[in-house]
Amino acid sequence: MPEPSVHRARRGPATAETVDAVHNDLDGLWAEADFVPEPDRMAFTLAVVEAATNVVVHAVPAAEDPLELEVDITAEASRLEARIYEIGAAPAEVEVDGGMPAAESAAESGRGMALIQALVSAVVFERRDDTNVWVLCREYRGS
Amino acid sequence: MQFTVEHKPTFAHITGTGRLNMVGAPKLREVVAEVVSGGSNHVVVDLGGTEFMDSSGLGALIGCLKLARQAGGDLRIANVRPQVQMVLELTSMNRVLTPYDTADEAFRDA
Repeated sequence: MPEPSVHRARRGPATAETVDAVHNDLDGLWAEADFVPEPDRMAFTLAVVEAATNVVVHAVPAAEDPLELEVDITAEASRLEARIYEIGAAPAEVEVDGGMPAAESAAESGRGMALIQALVSAVVFERRDDTNVWVLCREYRGS
Repeated sequence: MQFTVEHKPTFAHITGTGRLNMVGAPKLREVVAEVVSGGSNHVVVDLGGTEFMDSSGLGALIGCLKLARQAGGDLRIANVRPQVQMVLELTSMNRVLTPYDTADEAFRDA
């Protein structure tokens, strides 16, 4: 029997509406990829939304053209992968292994990257042509 | 994200339905600011209908907690679903925003 593989892709302006549409895509993907256990769906959905939100909030356009956000997600039998593209963004550096702010500090921001780290097996942030790319991968044990 | 506010004898009961994300977070801040400025500084945010929360939603809850405390009161959360519980645990914010089973239990000690 072939390995199951379910895929979703979306490209749109780097806005909150596009992030919401990606979230809807994830809901649809999980309905189809019913072989993925619930805790893994929950973790990966949050990681993808955090990264896509980071693009909307922090990415800076390289030129006058507006930024675009593209998200490609693939669910396989023991692996979830998302590629998140900041299209038209200026080169950037993201600290992928910064720590979680202390609870007692009551900071209102700065947890997104640490959450992504906690939720995925591997996270890569790299530059390809005029695009910054996040690659998030979560390995899981199938049910 | 939709919010409703009900004024109970000892606290304001805010329910949030939908996704507490970068769109929902500023709305929550607005609702809580209005409730606190209206004189209710004991606030329960009931997350029974909140299917999803991200770090921006969590940041809004922390901001609202500070607001209620600055007004001499407190903000507590109730009825959280597994996804919200996951975010609270991963960030250790369950130490500051301890979830109560129900809104009525949240201020039973008040």
